[in-house]
Order: sequence, then structure tokens, then C-alpha cells
Amino acid sequence: MPRPAPSKADRLKAVRARIAAIEAGGTGAFGVLPFGDARIDAAFPAGGLPLGRWHETVGEGLEAETGAVATAFTAALISPLAQRGAVVWVMRRDDLYAPGLAGLGFPAERLIQVLARDEAEALSALEDALGTAGVAAAVCEAEGADLTAGRRLQLACERHGATGVLIRRRPFGGPARGAGPAGALSGSLCATRWRVASAPSEPEAGAPASLLGPPRWLVALERCRGGRTGEWLMEKNDGAHPLRLVADLGDRELAPAQPVRLVG
Amino acid sequence: MRRLAAVDEAAAAQGLFAGQKATDAAALAPDLVTADAEPAADAAALTALADWCVRFSPAVALDLPDGLFLDITGVDHLWGGEAAMLKDLCQRLAWNGLPVRAAVADTPGAAWALAHFTETGTIAPPGKAWPLLAPLPVQALRLSPPAAAQIARLGLITVERLARLPRDQLTRRFGREVVLRLDQALGRAEEALAFRRPPTPWFARLAFAEPISAPEDLARVSRDVADQLCARLDAEGQGARRFELAFHRLDGKAQRLGVGLSLPGREAARIARLFAPMLETVDPGFGLEAVTLAASEIEPLSARQQRLDAGREIAPEEGLAPLADRLSNRLGEGRVWRAEPFPSHVPERAVERRPPLSPPSPSSPATPDAGAGGWDPDRPRPVRLFRRPEPIEDVLAPVPDDPPRRFRWRGRMHRVTRAEGPERLAEEWWRLADFDEVETSHVRDYYRVEDEAGARFWIFRAGLYSAETPARWWLHGLFG
Repeated sequence: MPRPAPSKADRLKAVRARIAAIEAGGTGAFGVLPFGDARIDAAFPAGGLPLGRWHETVGEGLEAETGAVATAFTAALISPLAQRGAVVWVMRRDDLYAPGLAGLGFPAERLIQVLARDEAEALSALEDALGTAGVAAAVCEAEGADLTAGRRLQLACERHGATGVLIRRRPFGGPARGAGPAGALSGSLCATRWRVASAPSEPEAGAPASLLGPPRWLVALERCRGGRTGEWLMEKNDGAHPLRLVADLGDRELAPAQPVRLVG
Repeated sequence: MRRLAAVDEAAAAQGLFAGQKATDAAALAPDLVTADAEPAADAAALTALADWCVRFSPAVALDLPDGLFLDITGVDHLWGGEAAMLKDLCQRLAWNGLPVRAAVADTPGAAWALAHFTETGTIAPPGKAWPLLAPLPVQALRLSPPAAAQIARLGLITVERLARLPRDQLTRRFGREVVLRLDQALGRAEEALAFRRPPTPWFARLAFAEPISAPEDLARVSRDVADQLCARLDAEGQGARRFELAFHRLDGKAQRLGVGLSLPGREAARIARLFAPMLETVDPGFGLEAVTLAASEIEPLSARQQRLDAGREIAPEEGLAPLADRLSNRLGEGRVWRAEPFPSHVPERAVERRPPLSPPSPSSPATPDAGAGGWDPDRPRPVRLFRRPEPIEDVLAPVPDDPPRRFRWRGRMHRVTRAEGPERLAEEWWRLADFDEVETSHVRDYYRVEDEAGARFWIFRAGLYSAETPARWWLHGLFG
């Protein structure tokens, strides 16, 4: 008796599952870190920030040199992971200030800081850290990872499911490497890329209007493998996830070069 | 008055001796060539020689002005006995043009006496130094010149006659020193030698019949010597935190490499791998004749039980401790750390850098908001703190002690929309040597400000507000 032909939907499902398996490198997924808000989580293929992958955060203008906003956002993004293991932070400039990270709710006692001398050393330290059991996440401040470096980072992530974040940061006074292949954002192999800018804060209820509220960020998800892009206004939060959605700024294919300051 | 400090063999043959007046010597030998004594240079040369001698034993002590003590306990078998070792040592020194007297004995005192007053190469069998020491003059006991002269006046010429006297009489007549020196020579009293480096029984050595210099040979012998030492560490259940690998060159120089481990270890493969990237810095010169590996900071390390599910087992080099070791050995000391709260309100001093895997100190809280010793959550700090605060210009701060309305940083004007402060931080006067050095100009009033784009800065005014002098403002960090 001939078997009934599978429906189109079933075949599509099977193909999708195979693609997902190929994309995960054949080792199986390492789970996701949901933001706890459907409006953000819906942008990702599996309902949250994929773990065991590496991501990029990018600042703008002067931020490309100071990297402060990207640092604060990254710390908030990965601080839930710090409960699962150590976090290695590879720097090229010795200006990361642990009390500031602790103030953002990041467990500084889980943080191992590494000061590299140059770009190659920073990327190799990141790769080394990502391939280490017991490291939940590793962060690296570098100008960028080209295709080879990106592939190596991905392989390192898949060994024990560590999550990497590359904060794209130019050395002070150094030339922009925008023209080269490593500086080009499109060629990168990252799972997601976040473009972050600061946004005016809103004082807490009852506080005088002249005081600072919790930090807010204008976050654009520029690239998301297997998912959608998006743009949100997020705020530092003391709840389940350290980031809280304030406003959804709509899905776009590409973020504008200069993000519009919508909330004041 | 100029005196001779030292004479060479030719001069001694003419009847000159150390301590002679220079004019007398010149009269005896009119063509005498003299050079000014340089005790500091002599000491430096002796120190260099001590470092060279580390190839024979890791424990070398200086005996100024012209002697060295080598503790060869447990290392002579590497040469096949004390006699062979002593011969090798003397031969090598002779090749380098250094006349030497040497002896082997149970105690430093006895060895000194035999080296100075018997023919070179004397070896006192274990526990049988006395027959050799007895006929020596009392000067062999390393006595101070006044004590030696007094004893000689009494006719006590040999060590044997001195040792026959009752001890209480000796002490009464010549002081504690004589008895102590006698006891030290005979092994009845301990003598503490100041070794150039701590003596470590954890020492392995490989000598090569043919000098080596190829990089792959260096890698191979560093692995071999690590195997040798680690096998011993393993057998005794010990692990070490520091390893020092030394390559000894034909010309007498040694090239040293060191690695540190964050947790004590004894895996030869891992230690050799840590050394591997440094081997290219070794300059073999005309060739390397020996390699030594010394381990220090030894701690007991029990063998680990292999897990049953070996298939899923994490390879030892994939753990956090080896990562910390790899990174700190590759990047250098002080480039891998964990930040820990330090009780100081000065921002630059509030962070203490600790080794990455050190246990948290008891004073530091597990969570940052536990107060007491930790960083105060009510005093927000930036995520980026500039090592040197950057000046900001065009600061408009009309009201004293109010935050500025606008400022210019790196050529861009920032209009302040929200601000918090001031938080006044003064220097820690109790750390100054002199209380009068405390100045109000070192007071800093910190403000946390936000510009219209939402960027958050940590700025401060140096010094107290004053109507006459314009305030100087600085940017110290970014909140992000």
C-alpha cells in the first residue's frame, strides 16, 4: 500500500529542522536566553538570544572609541549567564571599571579580566576562553573578526556552549578599519549584531525630574541569523532579565545610519 | 696607607702576600703591576659565579669575599658521585681561567676548613670529617682575626688541641664565637646559609653529550626534563605552582624561563606546553650543554580519580585553571586578574587586582549590594574609568556646588539635562607622611550628568569652589 505523500507543510518542517541542525554545527543547540518579553523574543528563531554562539555589539561615533554604551549593554545582556559560570573579559585598554559593572548588577566576582596587547592577541585570548569548560561567556573588545577568526570563534563556542560577545571598539586615535574586510560589518559570522546608543533616561516615579533614571539604550538588532531585525528602547531593570523593553520602535530591514532619538 | 688586597701566583712566588704595604711590595718587586681593588666588582663577579654554579645545585650561597657554598645534598648522583662532581666543577672553572680550591664535607664549616687548608679535591666521607679537621690550624674554623690571634698566643695551634679544652672554659675565655664555629664545623650546631635562591629538592637536570641548539631539540628536552620532575612530584603526591626552566650555554651563561600556574600542577605535557611559546626567545649561542627545571611553591596535590563516563570527560587542559595559566603566561604577569573590592573611597584605589582563581577574600561580600567592604550600590560608578581624567572645557556652572549646565569634551559640546551630585571625595590624608601636605585643592566634587542624547558622564571639579579662581573640571569616566 503506497504511503500517503507528506503534506507540503510537513516537508517544509523537515527541511527547516535539517537546516537548523546544520546551522548548529551538528552538535545540537545550547539553548537560548529569553528576554522575557515576546516583542523581543519573537525576533529570534528560538525565542531568545542563542547561546553557544558569538554576538557583536557596536557603538557609534565617539562610542566606537570609548565603547562605554556597548560595554554597559553587553554587561546587562550576559549577566544572567554569569550565574552559570565564569565570564572572561578581554580588553585592549585597561579602563574597564569593575565597580561600574557591579552597579549594573553584573556579578564582578565571576569576572576574569584579561589585558591583551594587540588585536590578534585579544582574539586568540577570546577564542581560548570560549573553548574552556567553566566559562559561561567571554567578551572581547576588538576592531572586528574576519571570516577566518569568526569561524574559529564559532568552533570554540560549540565546544562547551560558551557564548561570546565581541564589542567592536577602535583603539584610541587609531585609524578606522572600516574599509578592510575585517572592518566590514556585513562579512561577519556573528549570530546577532546589536547597534547600541544611549538614550535619555526617565527619572523613577516620585523622583525629581532633574535626577538620572536607570540607564536606557536605543538598541537596534541589525542582524540576526534565522530571525528578524528589530529596534527597541530598553532600560536597565532589576527584574528577571536585566533589560526591560520600554518601547518597540518597529522592525526595519536596516537601521538608519544615525538613529532617531524618539524618546525624550 | 695602601696595602695589597690580593696577589697572583707569580707575585706570591716573589714573596708578596695580601695585607702587605704597597711600598714594601714595590721594594721587593720593582716591576710590580698593581690595580685598585674593587670589592663591589668582586662581589658582582662572585654573584655571577654563584648563578653559574646553579647548574650543579640549585642551592648556592655566597661566602664573601671569595667563596661559594653549594649544597649538593641529593644532586651528586647526577654526576655519578661526589668525586666526579667535584672534578667536573674544578675542571670547568679551570677552563674559564679561575683558580679554585674545593672540598666536600658534611657541614659548611668543615668544607670551608678543608677547602682552605688542605689540598684541593678533599672529600670528607660522611660522618668522618674529624680526622681530617683535627690537624688543621685553628684559623680553619673561620674565627675572627682577634680571636684567632689570642688562641695562637696560648699555643693552641691545631683544631684538635682547641677541641680538647672544656667547653665552658672556651666560652669564658674566647667568647661564644669559638664554640659556635667549632660546633658548626663538627655538625653539632646548625648553620643557616643564605642561598641565592631557596633550595628546592624539586630539581631535575639533563646534560647533553653534544651541545644542542635546534628549536625542536629545545622543545623535546624541555618535555623530557618536565617528565623527569613531574614523575617525582607525582610519586610524592605534590604539585607546584612555579617552574623555572634554565638552559645552560657552553659559554657559561644561563637562559631562564619561568611559568606560573594558578593551581598547583604536575602534568608534564601541560608544563612543557606553557614553556613552548617562550622557547623561541632562548638564544643558544654556541650551543646548550644542560637544561635544568626547578619547581617551587610546592603543595600537596592528591591524585584525581578518573571519572567513569570518560567519554564525556572534560580534558584537563580545557578547565578554567589551565586557561588562566595559558593566558597569564602568554600575556605576561599582571595581565589576567579578578577585581575585588578594596576599602578605599578613592576611585582608582577601590579595586584590588587578585589572581584570577584566588578564593574571594572573606571581607568581600558575595554580592555587590551586601555592603561592608564591597562597592556601595548607592554610589554609582562608571563602567569605563579613565586612567588619567581628561580635561573638559567651556564648563558653564553658574551656581557654586551645582552641577554644570554644559561642557565641551573632545571638541563636542554636551548640554546637561539631568545631574546628580556632588559626591565629595578627598584624598586619604592618613596615607600621607605629613599631615601638612593635605590640601583642599585635592578635593574632588564628582557629578553624574546626562546630556540631551542620554550619554552619561562622571565629571568632577578639582578643588573647592572659589569666586576668584576659575574651577578646573575633568571627565573621569563614562557610564554608558
